[in-house]
Amino acid sequence: MSRRRAPVIAGAVGAVMVALLVLLAVADPSTDSASSPLLGRAAPAVRSETLDGTPFELARRKGSWVVLNFFNSTCVPCRNEHPVLVAFAGEQTKAKDPVELYTVVNDDSDTAVEAFFDANGGDWPRIRDDDGAIAVAFGVAKVPETWVIDPNGFVRLRIIGEMTRGFLEDKIGAMRAADAGTVGS
Amino acid sequence: MSSLAARVKSWPAWMLMGLTVVVLLTVGGTRDNGPLTQSDRIDSIARRVACPTCDGESVYASRAPASEAIRNQIAREVAGARLTDDQIIAGIASSFDARVLLVPRATGIDALVWVLPVAAGVCAVTGLGLAFRRWRRDPAMPTAEDESLVGGLLADRDHFDDRDLP
Repeated sequence: MSRRRAPVIAGAVGAVMVALLVLLAVADPSTDSASSPLLGRAAPAVRSETLDGTPFELARRKGSWVVLNFFNSTCVPCRNEHPVLVAFAGEQTKAKDPVELYTVVNDDSDTAVEAFFDANGGDWPRIRDDDGAIAVAFGVAKVPETWVIDPNGFVRLRIIGEMTRGFLEDKIGAMRAADAGTVGS
Repeated sequence: MSSLAARVKSWPAWMLMGLTVVVLLTVGGTRDNGPLTQSDRIDSIARRVACPTCDGESVYASRAPASEAIRNQIAREVAGARLTDDQIIAGIASSFDARVLLVPRATGIDALVWVLPVAAGVCAVTGLGLAFRRWRRDPAMPTAEDESLVGGLLADRDHFDDRDLP
């Protein structure tokens, strides 16, 4: 009896091992770094002020698409990305329904950030995050990171790392078109 | 009465008592009395959260900016005194995801981390118990072939012993 059962047990164990191997081979390698528990949910409450002292509250930006770019002036990808954001901001000044762009200063000094913007352009508001509360609320561990919040205040997109030219415009355009289609249908 | 005394004096009862003493001493000696101050509470929560930018380091041990920010958040929540430790950690995990949890949750698929070792242990002990029971019930008896083999070997030994004697 046990001699007959042994091959069955060995076969079952082998099958489980093979199934685990297949699972490991075909599973998502978890490189989808742009995922976040916040996507599709209401954006975290953000209350702070800009570097020039103007109060900022994310909830008050409802009605507009908002882009939050987490930035540090010593981070190379952030510096590389800056011209892309300057171009994006320039396009928005001409748009009918412009996207609001904000830089969230991450672990950096006011003077360093202002000096960088003075030298490299960009006149959008820079938000203070001295204690890292905004970064923690959005789950930002490394910069640059960019988040898109829709006019209803829901988090729609997270972009980790340096963006290429046109990427943000394309993504927001696609989301706007999808929303218009949903509303229209 | 005498049979009861004999049973009490038997070794399983002593084993059980010894085991109970060891378990109680272990639990008593290692029991966490909880954080004593607000700073202790911040540290104890920070020890349960993984640094999101490091490998295998807790927020408590890490000096990375992201860990500093999380520590600040924990300190704010503790100072606010509105949330329990678990709620504070759940709030952080809701932004960063469950990868920042050094102690896995006991719900959902994470619960498998807790359940599987226990289930495996129960299965192993049950399997051993069944095997021991079967071995006791059906002791392996030597076959005729075994007996003839041993008999032959013994005969050979006797033969050599006789020959070696002076």
